[in-house]
Amino acid sequence: PAIPEGMPSSTKTNKDGVLVDEFGLPQIPAT
Amino acid sequence: MAHWFHRNPLKATAPVSFNFYGVASSPAANKICNDLRATRARLLEMFTDLTCNPEMMKNATDAYFALLQGFIVSLDGTTQENKMRFIQNFKWTDTLQGNAASAQQDAVFELVSMAFNVAVWYTKFASRLAGKENITEAEAKEVHKSLKIAAGIFKHLKEAHIPRLITAVEKGRDLEARVIDTYIVQCQAEAQEVTIARAIELKHNATIVAALAFETANFYQKADHTLNTLEPDYSSKWRKYLQLKQHFYMAYAYCYHGQTLLSSDKCGEAIRSLQEAEKCYSKAEALCKEYRQTKGPGSTAKPSEQLFFLKLGGLIKNTLEKCQRENGFIYFHKIPADAPQLELKASYGLAEPVSFEFPALSEQWSPGVYATFDLTKGAKDDKAKPKQEEEVKPVKEPDLKPQKDTGCVVS
Repeated sequence: PAIPEGMPSSTKTNKDGVLVDEFGLPQIPAT
Repeated sequence: MAHWFHRNPLKATAPVSFNFYGVASSPAANKICNDLRATRARLLEMFTDLTCNPEMMKNATDAYFALLQGFIVSLDGTTQENKMRFIQNFKWTDTLQGNAASAQQDAVFELVSMAFNVAVWYTKFASRLAGKENITEAEAKEVHKSLKIAAGIFKHLKEAHIPRLITAVEKGRDLEARVIDTYIVQCQAEAQEVTIARAIELKHNATIVAALAFETANFYQKADHTLNTLEPDYSSKWRKYLQLKQHFYMAYAYCYHGQTLLSSDKCGEAIRSLQEAEKCYSKAEALCKEYRQTKGPGSTAKPSEQLFFLKLGGLIKNTLEKCQRENGFIYFHKIPADAPQLELKASYGLAEPVSFEFPALSEQWSPGVYATFDLTKGAKDDKAKPKQEEEVKPVKEPDLKPQKDTGCVVS
């Protein structure tokens, strides 16, 4: 699994279980 | 990069003294009335104070609403209406109706009208911050959050409090379903604009940008349709804004979808998608001009001359040229007659309203204090009550230039 970036309080997952940032975007860009 | 958002004016209201001529028959009751007057006045001042931020706004609203709740919630253990609910008259204008105020002698009307204005304030705070040239990540988060908070307030009012009003809301006034629904959807769409900009900046996958842009365009379309049964003279300018944003984000969607198609070697389809992006962009440009020419409250901005607008035009042109070059060298695909069907579902970046609740009842209120509000001690004779019809003065907004009738503005 990828290393989470950002503070623990800012990590959330979306409904598919992907880690997202405060804007709801994936934590790590796919490109 | 700066965002541009249309904003309707804040609501204006007549001052309220909360002076009940003897009804407040204890020092505690009197203190509540004085504090209501002061906290309300303070809150109204903050709406036009450019140094006000969300933390200050929350403190001011909590202070007022915690006290006002004492006129609304049950304080005597019965299911009967609070005896103070219908004592005081409140006058408010509406964001679309200029200076034409409406009045209701109902504390719930005051609660929802004031909260509505707080939500409008959050959207204006977000808009001011988002309009800055070089917005930081922290500021982008504040903009995004403020818009979701505003959406949450509007939603809570619509679902939990507006249904309690006794008097039906007139068409085109703020508390009416069509108007409040439009504000909710607009806030979500605008929050998503910030997310789209971030996704592009962080070089997220083109499919993510395309899907979110497509959904955002649909939100703007939905908002526009929600207003289409209202009178044009007060809804046209706002609708033009919603339409231009819809076409602008469709242009984004087709542009990024084109990039996705190109990266799967579907070059002919990619070109067609970019051509569709161009069409949407031109339509958005035309709508920008119509927006400027339409009378109504709102900014005097020239959206089609702003960087956020021009940047997309450049991107579409460059991407199309790239696709055409590659088609001429590598692919030699036929360009489809029909535009690609955008059936893009956004899995990332959709903005949901943030749940809102009014603050708890102030500790100054108790059943005992409530009991000292004695309605029998009010002015016996209505003529004795100075019937000063309190004036509603329009709100002087620091960053909104008044629209002149000719539509000509010196900007």
